[in-house]
Amino acid sequence: MRVVYALVLIAGLGAVIADHLTSPSSARAVSPEDFAGACAPCGAPCPSAQKK
Amino acid sequence: MSTATLSASTELRRLDWPFLIAAVLGTAVLVTLVALDGHPASAALVILGFALGVAFLKAEFSFTAAWRRFLANGEAGGLLAALLLIAVAALVIVPVAALVPGFGGAIAPIGPSLVIGAFVFGIGMQLANGCGSGTLYTAGGGSGRMLIALALFIAGSVIGSLHLPAFLALGGVDPILASAYLGPWGGLAVTLASIAAVALAVALIARARGANFKPRPLIVIGAIAIGGLSIGVFLAGHHPWSVTFGFTVWGAKLAALAGFDFSGAAFWQWPGPKRALAESILSDTSSLTDLGMILGAMAAAAATKPFARTVWPQARSLIAAAIGGLLMGWGARIGFGCNIGAFVGGVASGSLHGWIWFVAALGGCMIGIRLRPLFGLSRE
Repeated sequence: MRVVYALVLIAGLGAVIADHLTSPSSARAVSPEDFAGACAPCGAPCPSAQKK
Repeated sequence: MSTATLSASTELRRLDWPFLIAAVLGTAVLVTLVALDGHPASAALVILGFALGVAFLKAEFSFTAAWRRFLANGEAGGLLAALLLIAVAALVIVPVAALVPGFGGAIAPIGPSLVIGAFVFGIGMQLANGCGSGTLYTAGGGSGRMLIALALFIAGSVIGSLHLPAFLALGGVDPILASAYLGPWGGLAVTLASIAAVALAVALIARARGANFKPRPLIVIGAIAIGGLSIGVFLAGHHPWSVTFGFTVWGAKLAALAGFDFSGAAFWQWPGPKRALAESILSDTSSLTDLGMILGAMAAAAATKPFARTVWPQARSLIAAAIGGLLMGWGARIGFGCNIGAFVGGVASGSLHGWIWFVAALGGCMIGIRLRPLFGLSRE
């Protein structure tokens, strides 16, 4: 199990670092709730907005 | 050599240096990456996540086991500790979210999507034997079984993201927030009163069933510490702590890498998810705390005993973890989060959806507990 963990840790951290270095990160970290019209932690719109 | 020196030497030998160093080094790398980008709040979120991982592991804080003990035999100590955690967090979240521009509570629409998602999540958490936070800290803490649950949790949440728009179309009403009706302090009073009322009901049920309802001291300390850290996450991220959106982003990025096209998926066209998919994982608040939490639990586990030295459990148990993870991932996306984002964050924000999520997830747990023996797992 230790070998599996070592591999997952290396692959996971490697993927995070590679993603960070190849993707934009323009402003402070945000949650989808920071965006206008978001009605849930995942950024889903409100039912009232969907009816319009 | 003195007894103290011998004892210290034994303690040092017990440390699992490779994994302890890897966990601390990994955290340092993440903190450095976001600090170099000039985002101190992001660095704070990684460190707070690390502390949460340590706190959960050391206090053995488990929503899943607490709910199961309550449903199976009436024991209410763990559930009451969870309510204490939420009350601590609410003290800051309700007023700050209402009074300070840029801050907001955890809200969600109330409708079939919330109830169905939470119910399915409840089934999954009992099969996997861990919820959102539980999966993170036990996977980080060296449980290979929960590593499988985490992988399927991620897959399930991506599938859920594709289904959520259809479930939202079933209807619902906009979020109901106590502070929106009663102001920040009235909202806080109602939130604390609702937590106290539920705690009283839970204690009375436990007493009627002849079960213990006093939380262990370590769990109480853990609840207060985790509540305090939740406040820290809220202040650094401007929204209550959430776990599962990060999983959805990780899974979607992997799927995109494998060639899956999300441009036709409505969920991924909403502004928040669209930005999260396009930008660095370290630009998403839940990913920052999730990664910190995994590494924190790993460091705490490696500092206590040899890391991940246990044998793999039986295949039936691994299958339960996989099914549970998949159900939790799907349910979390359809039901707007897990125990942390929906229940802790929702109730601590004074949002009605948090309580509805709790009741629906408890219902799912009852089914999940009945299914556990099929996979060789105890009902208690």
